[in-house]
Amino acid sequence: MGVNSDAAAVYGHKLSTVVPGSVSGETVVHELADMDLVMKLHYVRTVYYFQQSETVDGLTIVDLKKPMFRWLTSYYPVTGRIRRTEAGRPLVKCNDCGVRIVEANCCRTLEEWLQVPHSARWRPLVPDKVLGPDLRFSPMVYVQFTKFQCGGMAIGYSWSHVLGDPVAGTNCINLWGQLLAGNPPPKSLLPHSARTPTARPARQPPVSATPLSVKQVEPAGDLWLIADACKMATDSITITESRLKHLQSEKLNSVPAFEMISALFWHCLASVRRGGREPRVVTICRHKPRAKKCAELSNEQMISTVSTSHASPADLDLAELALLVSKQKVDETTLVEESIDGDGGKPDFVVYGANLTFVDMEGVDLSGLDIKGEKPVQVDSVIDGVGDEGAVLVFPQGADAGGGSKGPAAVLILPEDQILKLREVLKREFDMA
Amino acid sequence: MPMAPLPEFSSSVKLKYVKLGYQYLVNNFVTLLFIPVMAAVYLELVRMGPEEIVGLWRSLHIDLIQILCSFFVIVFAAAVYLTSRPQPVYLMDYACFKPPITCRVPFATFLEHTRLISSDEKSVRFQMRILERSGLGEETCLPPAIHYIPPRPTMEASRAEAQLVIFSAIDDLVRKTGLKPKDIDILVVNCSLFSPTPSLSAMIINKYKLRSNVRSFNLSGMGCSAGLISIDLARDLLQVHRSSNALVISTEIITPNFYGGNQRSMLLPNCLFRMGAAAILLSNRRRDARRAKYRLVHVVRTHKGADDRAYRCVYQEEDAEGLPGISLSKDLMAIAGEALKSNITTIGPLVLPMSEQLLFFLTLVGRKLINPKWKPYIPDFKLAFEHFCIHAGGRAVIDELQKNLELSAEHVEASRMTLHRFGNTSSSSLWYELNYIESKGRMRRGDRVWQIGFGSGFKCNSAVWKCLRTVKSPVDGPWSDCIDRYPVDIPEVVKL
Repeated sequence: MGVNSDAAAVYGHKLSTVVPGSVSGETVVHELADMDLVMKLHYVRTVYYFQQSETVDGLTIVDLKKPMFRWLTSYYPVTGRIRRTEAGRPLVKCNDCGVRIVEANCCRTLEEWLQVPHSARWRPLVPDKVLGPDLRFSPMVYVQFTKFQCGGMAIGYSWSHVLGDPVAGTNCINLWGQLLAGNPPPKSLLPHSARTPTARPARQPPVSATPLSVKQVEPAGDLWLIADACKMATDSITITESRLKHLQSEKLNSVPAFEMISALFWHCLASVRRGGREPRVVTICRHKPRAKKCAELSNEQMISTVSTSHASPADLDLAELALLVSKQKVDETTLVEESIDGDGGKPDFVVYGANLTFVDMEGVDLSGLDIKGEKPVQVDSVIDGVGDEGAVLVFPQGADAGGGSKGPAAVLILPEDQILKLREVLKREFDMA
Repeated sequence: MPMAPLPEFSSSVKLKYVKLGYQYLVNNFVTLLFIPVMAAVYLELVRMGPEEIVGLWRSLHIDLIQILCSFFVIVFAAAVYLTSRPQPVYLMDYACFKPPITCRVPFATFLEHTRLISSDEKSVRFQMRILERSGLGEETCLPPAIHYIPPRPTMEASRAEAQLVIFSAIDDLVRKTGLKPKDIDILVVNCSLFSPTPSLSAMIINKYKLRSNVRSFNLSGMGCSAGLISIDLARDLLQVHRSSNALVISTEIITPNFYGGNQRSMLLPNCLFRMGAAAILLSNRRRDARRAKYRLVHVVRTHKGADDRAYRCVYQEEDAEGLPGISLSKDLMAIAGEALKSNITTIGPLVLPMSEQLLFFLTLVGRKLINPKWKPYIPDFKLAFEHFCIHAGGRAVIDELQKNLELSAEHVEASRMTLHRFGNTSSSSLWYELNYIESKGRMRRGDRVWQIGFGSGFKCNSAVWKCLRTVKSPVDGPWSDCIDRYPVDIPEVVKL
């Protein structure tokens, strides 16, 4: 079954909009911080798969939409639209314009659909829109409800990274799930005009070195999409607990799981890319820990780089690489923030994929979304708009939100041929399927 | 120059007292004439003394038969008079539909949808300009089918909207009045643009299990003034049927009528019309007078359809691409003004105090005979009414009427705020406005209310109500959760 036929299996798209239940106010604005603007070319796409059950069957689109009005009253900035200040710096005008809802049907059953390869599986189930070409009228969040032939349902959730990191994004949709279950809405989470405009001095380009972790791109203008990106495929590889323990004990057991997995994939990808552009420098991205119910919309990542001085990572021992990753990170967060010009919000950057990027998805609560108590049987979560070097998202508890975790999972966002070769290397050298 | 303003001020004060004196004199003319006559008769009687009075009486030579006949004549005349008096029509209570938050349409969403649906840049900009100046707020509501891109106006969705708005209003009314559906004798429904088979009145009869001999009527196609036409019909029916009550439902169903094309004259309704419905309970039972809120005093209907311009002024037709819509002509305001003048000419003598009528008559005679250049005298309707409910057809309509009738901002506040909070809900808007006045605690016993409706045809209809008991706030109704925020200041042009 080709990719085209998978996409064609999803049909009957109906678009509508859901707005906050109360007026957010006149001229309410959500300021975008420097880190928000750094991440603006990226989008988080998540698909939650729910099995057929009486609960899921009994839900009509009206039932699904009803709690959204209260939900969006709490999260009103996500319903706004991008505007620019006179100097050109983007901000969010909280005009209650709303979140776009898509309803669709799929002519296959959920079971059949889950057999489809990862790369082709999630794309038709979540709107792959970006911000622009008309920024003033582009929704920042989309939700797609796809009904399968058997009665199962997929909820596709598209989140613009400019609003917040994946932790904030999942906390947002999880609140909707809680309201759907009938829980009372929380007391106002975000005070109106939460972000007071801070006086931003006009900044000179930093005197110190430009950050390695991000890549400046051509001005995106009003279309926030990476130009000329090569088409990325995705895949998900689960690392069983036993295999992980084996790797850790064999080498060093003081290295945490995320660093271990990052080193593993770095090593393998380096051997895949040997002879071409080898990844001497990688970016490590972690999210600052936040309370589960925290509704703050912000990009709280810590960005750092790790580099191998002259040796190719493919030649280095996994243990050495793991130690390098855990001990010798160079924190570039502040450097990255300062690269953004205070007034104009320029230039435009790519973070994920500028170098081979490893993202620690600890704190991203994928299992937090449930439909009246029903947990999803599977969750696919990827980042769109990744640069050419690719990215690996490491989920500590696996992407299977239901039925017991089998171990951490790595979601790969790489060119298709590299994924195939990577799987071969993993099988050959580490005996991992 | 300090001296110049003072004479003006003192002259305006003097004028005010002159006016007051004149009004008092003319309005109480008969009483003022009566007092000296009665005083003279009394003095004469006192002067004559009792024997003279008895002698006067005897000289009339009245015998028993004549007394009995006169007595019967008087009783007969009284009986004829009492039975031929019109039945009073009492408004027991009414309820308005409160749209749920799930139907809310902020400006930004409306504009975004318009841009996505319409291919024509110019018509999108035109609609934006209308919306900026419309006087609507950010909380008006459209039915769920219209929230889709493009809208999905199926028959099922239209019926669903009708059921939602009408049944909510009736349930509220039943709760407020304790009305039993089986007790409804007359049912009148008006909904201009949605007329399914079976009718909306049949839908209500089915849902609430009304009696098989209920007298039901369904008025369609009669425009935004149809609410008062329904009241008029119910009133006429209540003259014929003794000891009965009537349920009147006024609504407009938006779902099937959202215009999908680009012709400018047809785009206004999309921007202004919003969801709404009202359910009104009328009765002619005298015992209900104690519980009733208002009594219907007058209904005056004016139809300008004989004039071609007026007839075509609000016209439903297909545009060049074959899409149906309601076209509003450019001289709508002028025609509305003329219709209003006709209506006022009829209603004026019924409600205005004699002082105003005399002035109007004298000015009219003067203009015809002496000098046509005299300014026509606009009667001061503020003397006849305490409250005004002007159909919230749009900002222009309210502005025009405020100017023509020389009303203050407070008089038109109910209309403006209803337009802001609920949009143009067509025939039911008069009831939202009345509810606003009640919710503000301004409705006192004895107050007179003038409801003016305009609609396609071109029609101008008026109803006059008299308040029978002071309405205490807080009032249960569509304004209950937001009345404290009103009145709001509505800018001339909203920044979008």
